[in-house]
Amino acid sequence: MSQKHEIDFTLNGIKNSARVGLGMSALTMLRDVIGLTGTKYGCGEGECGACTILVDGVSQNACLMFALDCQGRSLTTVEGLAAQPTGAALRAALVECGAVQCGFCTPGMVVQATHLLATRPDADEEAIQRAIEGNICRCTGYKKIVEAIASVSQTSTQE
Amino acid sequence: MTVSPKTIAPDTLIGKRIVKMDAPEKIEGKTRYIHDINLSGQLHAKILRSGRVHALIKSIDVSAARALPGVHAVITAFDVPDMRPIGVAKDHMPLKGERVRSERDEIAAVAAESVEIAEQALKLIKVVYQDLPVLADARDSQKSGAPAIHADKPDNVAMRFDYSHGDVAQGEAESDVVLEDTFELHYVTHCCMGVSGMIAEFDASGNLLMYSNTQVPFLHKREFADYLRMDPSRVRIIQPPIGGGFGSKLDIYPFEVICVYLARLTRRPVKLVFTREEEFLASPTRQPVLLTLRSGCKKDGTLTFRQVHTLHDNGAYTSWGATTPFVMMQTFSSLYRVPHCDYHTVAVYTNNPYAGSFRGYGNLQATFAIEQQMDMLAEAIGMDQFEFRMKNAQDAGEVTGQGMHFKSCGFKQCLSTAAEHSHFQRQLEQNRNNQKAPGSIKRGIGMASTLHVGGGAKIHPSDGCGTILKLDDFAQLTLITGASEIGQGSETVLAQLVCEELGLPISRVTVVNNDTAITPWDVGVHASRTTFIAGNSAIGAARKAKAKILAAAAAKLECDADELDMRGGYVIRAASGEALIDLPRLLRQLHFSDKAELVMTTFYYEPPSVHQDKGFKGDVSAAYTWATQVVEVEVDTDTGIVKMSRVTAAHDVGRVLNRLGIEGQIEGGVVMGQGYALTENLMVENGVMRNPNFRDYKLVTAPEIPEIDIHFIESMDGEGPQGAKGVGEAPAICIAAATANAIYNATGVRIHGLPFTPERVYRALHGQGEQPSWERT
Amino acid sequence: MTQSAPQEQYLAPVDLEQALAYLQQAAGEVTILAGGTDLMPQLQSGRLQPKHTLMNIRRIAGLKGVRLEGEVVRIGGLTTIAELMDDPLVRHHLPLLVEAGDHFASSQVRNAATLGGNICNASPAGDTLVPLLVLGATAELARLVDGKVSVRSLPLDEFFVGPGKTRRAPDELLLGVRIALPPEHFSARFFKFGTRPALDIATISIGIGGVLQDGVMSGVRVAFGAVAATPVRAPRTEAALEGKRLDETTIAAAALAARNEVNPIDDVRASAWYRKELIHNMTKRMLSHVAKA
Repeated sequence: MSQKHEIDFTLNGIKNSARVGLGMSALTMLRDVIGLTGTKYGCGEGECGACTILVDGVSQNACLMFALDCQGRSLTTVEGLAAQPTGAALRAALVECGAVQCGFCTPGMVVQATHLLATRPDADEEAIQRAIEGNICRCTGYKKIVEAIASVSQTSTQE
Repeated sequence: MTVSPKTIAPDTLIGKRIVKMDAPEKIEGKTRYIHDINLSGQLHAKILRSGRVHALIKSIDVSAARALPGVHAVITAFDVPDMRPIGVAKDHMPLKGERVRSERDEIAAVAAESVEIAEQALKLIKVVYQDLPVLADARDSQKSGAPAIHADKPDNVAMRFDYSHGDVAQGEAESDVVLEDTFELHYVTHCCMGVSGMIAEFDASGNLLMYSNTQVPFLHKREFADYLRMDPSRVRIIQPPIGGGFGSKLDIYPFEVICVYLARLTRRPVKLVFTREEEFLASPTRQPVLLTLRSGCKKDGTLTFRQVHTLHDNGAYTSWGATTPFVMMQTFSSLYRVPHCDYHTVAVYTNNPYAGSFRGYGNLQATFAIEQQMDMLAEAIGMDQFEFRMKNAQDAGEVTGQGMHFKSCGFKQCLSTAAEHSHFQRQLEQNRNNQKAPGSIKRGIGMASTLHVGGGAKIHPSDGCGTILKLDDFAQLTLITGASEIGQGSETVLAQLVCEELGLPISRVTVVNNDTAITPWDVGVHASRTTFIAGNSAIGAARKAKAKILAAAAAKLECDADELDMRGGYVIRAASGEALIDLPRLLRQLHFSDKAELVMTTFYYEPPSVHQDKGFKGDVSAAYTWATQVVEVEVDTDTGIVKMSRVTAAHDVGRVLNRLGIEGQIEGGVVMGQGYALTENLMVENGVMRNPNFRDYKLVTAPEIPEIDIHFIESMDGEGPQGAKGVGEAPAICIAAATANAIYNATGVRIHGLPFTPERVYRALHGQGEQPSWERT
Repeated sequence: MTQSAPQEQYLAPVDLEQALAYLQQAAGEVTILAGGTDLMPQLQSGRLQPKHTLMNIRRIAGLKGVRLEGEVVRIGGLTTIAELMDDPLVRHHLPLLVEAGDHFASSQVRNAATLGGNICNASPAGDTLVPLLVLGATAELARLVDGKVSVRSLPLDEFFVGPGKTRRAPDELLLGVRIALPPEHFSARFFKFGTRPALDIATISIGIGGVLQDGVMSGVRVAFGAVAATPVRAPRTEAALEGKRLDETTIAAAALAARNEVNPIDDVRASAWYRKELIHNMTKRMLSHVAKA
């Protein structure tokens, strides 16, 4: 059994700590050590985006991060977004637009879209497609996901 | 107390955009897929896969693995004396003890306290192999002297299919043009975003509970019971929400049996989840096919015959891929009017991965060949491709040579709608004229159509589905259906159909569909059958409930039941819309009366289709569907990159039920077809998978999608629920064929093999390509 | 989900001297972690064996950021690709790097991957490497000498030795790169072959830069990726362009020189023949665009 190290970090706004192995990914830490299963394992090598989380405010693949590197950082998972305004707006839009089928890619899409809307609130459809190029969906063909994100993006620019 | 009469205007849920019931929790990350379920006391299982392609197993030493702290069990074939073969042809032992026939073969399995320990234990297992010559090509398996992969099949033939209607010799004699071409269809795989997994647990009385993502829970329950020699009533399957199906979960797989064995041995719940690499290696693929099509027509454009020979690479073990001929022969015999047809498949064992069922089930492969030759035939007789297709497209009422009765048929409308909205003929001409013009980017447009079953497919003894409907004292409806939800939105559609009958809002429905202990029998989610069959079943139960409610209301109101209807949560006067009694009150009155009654009804719907006879003839589905897709491409002749810019899709769906859901199915299917045509390629060389990962197996990503323009043809099927037919598979089926035709329109070059990757297209454009052939070079 | 074989020690120094001191003592038994976007998949798949110590350098002060020092842009090795693309100095002076970043993996990976990591990972197909060669970047390597930080510079052309192999000594850290401000009328283009805008490992990539004045190119620098064991300069292609009028004849000659100068391999992504065709066709196309601009 590999050695365990104790780390401290903020998770969805709450201070937290965990005992993690040296080679453990942040994804494994979130799912198996902390028990938050909203962040998904899709491939384990940063190609599919199912494990997207926010780290110090920017989106990253949790499967590529070493859990140890979470020390002192602020993590946000899909569970932490529902209560926030962008999260709520995205939720309504994704439901309205029919952008969810099996739903497995959806948490990663939600987190990535949150990051996009924070950095480019006026993103158009082309920019949205580029922004989610690292999030693979096998069910929807992406069209309704892009429409949903675009509808939130347009709303925010109207304010 | 006076209550002023209220009238409720008529409304309908049909054709509306209805949001998916489980979307909110999926968005918030609250949905518990199988990977997210953890039972207390569970152990984690991992499988040792051989990594050899073809070898004798000389010895397996698990002693070090067994001794590792935290390991509860290590099993090999030798530990399970009651093990028997599984799969479609029962040629597949879950654990291999004597011989490895493919790279993914399961040699041993470990159950341990953690995934980490299980993986360490795998590394401690020592296996000694003696390599055997590899059969990596189905053509080699057929040569004399080729080693037999299964001792009981010395010629390596797993299955044969032969079909014929009419007389192809006569058809050929009547033809003015005859073409023969060979096409090669490649390996692709489902790539469900949620990897495969299972949790198995035996309770204190020896009853088996499986958390499984199977798409055929009732068949599975029966099969597992047979397999384990248990009473089927002691096997229960619970289906957690699934991270994608697409046909990948229709067979029994070794990992499932292994998981159950470990649970049985350790007397603990055992959870087994694949890695993504394992998902690539061990999941069944789409059926690769080498296909020669010979077809002909008269100079007036009438199709005369089709003659087909296919070689199916069966892989090391037989799964549903070997039965794709059932569907392929339907397409060859009946997509367009074909008076004479002859079809032959030989499915041959190799040491390659095995193929299973995958959205479209052989239809993509068949359509790829047919629709290219349709274009080629039209060109040969100098007829416009659209007119040629219209001339041979069937009308409602026709019965095909294979005995398929096209009761509702929107084929011609699909063709003309797609052609009109894509400005097909104008673009075709323009692009053709532009082929030799300067400029490296060439545009092309291509058309293809699909025929697929839309009312189930009667392959099992029953193609039916059961529903139990329950209304509680508050008019909250529980719809208990045998039909599984695999992300396609079936539970929302079923709720919609029932609410339409009972005049209730969708928010009043709870759907229960995922526990064999509770739900009534359904054969499974395949053949695009769920809306049609589970839908009719749900409607049947709803109509019974309505009759009971209206009878009770009529008794109370002292009028005839046919003067009444249900709308907006009320019983109303049908003629005026006046609300008479609110439903919850009526239900409570029924419940708390002297002759107490609850409203609970059941219905089992068996579609009026028939089993095919020994010649594969018969009206195997209760309805059929069509689609025409027009694909527009831009070919960069300096690189071979084909960009799919637009797809115009016209789908005969009978009737649009949930507009939002059906659009999603079509958009998703189109993009899956795009992947099959352009980007996805599971590269298997000498039995070894070269790209079992997303880095090198290219799924379509968001920036690559085409514009998608969808049109619905509502042919209003007489048997379908509210006139609807199935649509789950259709959108993926003819994209590759249309793309092939589009590339030809752009460049004048026809490519007979998939996928149209840049290098393949570039080679074809520059005379460096190779067309597929039955001869091995 | 899988974990690498057990390593023993984890360090996360905040101070450059500390980190270099450890590297010196540890004599090569250290795996360096920056963004982790290459390291994690390589460890998980077994392509890389973990060493005794995992040293996370992400917290070392002073290794991030972009600064203009006189006529030289200095980019710290820990600058992420996303930060690089957003940086005003890079956008203004070195837009070629922004173009390269746009083709790099995905947004999520760009937010974590570091320029230093991309350089030290030394993939022949690394997306920032061809542009850095075209821009004439120099690597800055630091080690401890007599207890003090000592820095040496090495032109990036000389830094790459083979796939995954560089001239960074085991006791050195890459501090960053220095890039001289390009001269006036300098223009450069980057092309990465793929069917997707990003998320692909390059089948081939091409960088071309030079001063274009009165239709004549000078100070030409050409680099190719994924056609050799390292990203490489293309001297024969450069010679075919240097001092010449950028017309059809020159372009054809340069494209031919490019095709002849590369010796790519066959692999799961493409065949050697096709790579050569792409190098030829795309060099020609890029130069035609430059000529028209």
